[in-house]
Amino acid sequence: MIEAVGITKYFENFKALNNLNCKIPDSCIYGLVGSNGAGKSTFLRLISGVYKPDEGTILMDGQPVYENPDVKKNILYVTDDLYFLPQSNMKRMADFYHAIYENFSYEKFNELTETFKLDPGKNFNTFSKGMRRQAATILALAAKPRYLFFDETFDGLDPVMRNLVKRCIYSDVLDRKTTTIITSHSLRELEDVCDQLAMLHKGGIVFESDIQDLKTSLFKVQIAFGDPFDQNKFPDIEMVNYSQKGSVANIIVRGDRDAIKAKLRLMNPLVLDILPLTLEEVFIYEMEALGYAFKDMID
Amino acid sequence: MISIDIYSRTPVYQQIIDEMKKEIVLGILPPGAQLSSVRELSIELDINPNTVQKAYIELERQGLIHSVPGKGSFVTEDAGAQIRRLIAQEESERIRAAAGHLASVGFSEEIILEWIHDIFRNSKGENYHD
Repeated sequence: MIEAVGITKYFENFKALNNLNCKIPDSCIYGLVGSNGAGKSTFLRLISGVYKPDEGTILMDGQPVYENPDVKKNILYVTDDLYFLPQSNMKRMADFYHAIYENFSYEKFNELTETFKLDPGKNFNTFSKGMRRQAATILALAAKPRYLFFDETFDGLDPVMRNLVKRCIYSDVLDRKTTTIITSHSLRELEDVCDQLAMLHKGGIVFESDIQDLKTSLFKVQIAFGDPFDQNKFPDIEMVNYSQKGSVANIIVRGDRDAIKAKLRLMNPLVLDILPLTLEEVFIYEMEALGYAFKDMID
Repeated sequence: MISIDIYSRTPVYQQIIDEMKKEIVLGILPPGAQLSSVRELSIELDINPNTVQKAYIELERQGLIHSVPGKGSFVTEDAGAQIRRLIAQEESERIRAAAGHLASVGFSEEIILEWIHDIFRNSKGENYHD
């Protein structure tokens, strides 16, 4: 369990995180979306004990993480800018990780390098960017930490690797209740992997939801009537957004789909269509309902 | 074999619940049958184990399955009957709504009944479900 209470972090005059609160339960796969500079990496560096917060507390299983090796040995953070020891190869990095992470499995390491046809004895200088990314991911998975953080490492993995990483994370969730945090610019990268989704903006979490609940929370109604009407025609429906062109109205509605459909049908509309929203659309409207313009937040 | 569309608007756990119910009502999963474990299903379908867990908890809450610690989850004795009752209730409401709608725009009882008879005549001998 990761508990962050009131974290604020400054870099000189820049407030990277502003009174951020969040609770991430065990075995959760937590997706964090946000634009550049929203504070995603800062947040990961704080909860992995690289930075010390200026204000607030961070507890991992009830223990503070900063300068606390007992806690930190459970955390593995795959950074956006990968680091390998100078002139080293995967084999050397595996030994290095093994010295830190007591669960490090050479068996898994060998199996994964085999699957991806990476030569563990070859200098990292000869690896392409994509291969380095694969190497870092393999090392992280083989280390079997309790807390696993991927900072945009998921963006742009090829589908085979992506699927494999997904599967490894799932089995770690089952076996050891591993908690995973994945950050990304893109909602779509996270949609199929995560169970919780949070939006980070200007140093704070502005929205958090169970990803499956998000899928059903809102839907779009297209409705038309012969007589002139406006949004006051629907007093007992929770509207998130209303737009009308001529006799056709588009309404974004929150609530029980079937009940609302039945209610609208009783009004004898000329046209009544219930349309699903994409996850991105749901996200946009949910954010708007909170008073944020989504377009400002995503690249 | 359950099939899941992870990009569907229907939540994945709901899809698992729906598919399980279908298998129970069709007798593919008879009373007392053991369900795949959360692990097996998660690996087989390539989906988040937390999602599978959520579906199982909901099925258990509805009294359709029960779990035996250390052994697994099993279909309860009256699960099939329960689901059938639920289907009967939902679908009879839909028939009522459709018939009401047709009647309100001027179709007679005879015509509506004739259509229903047609459905059974046409599907006789066919093994049709869904």
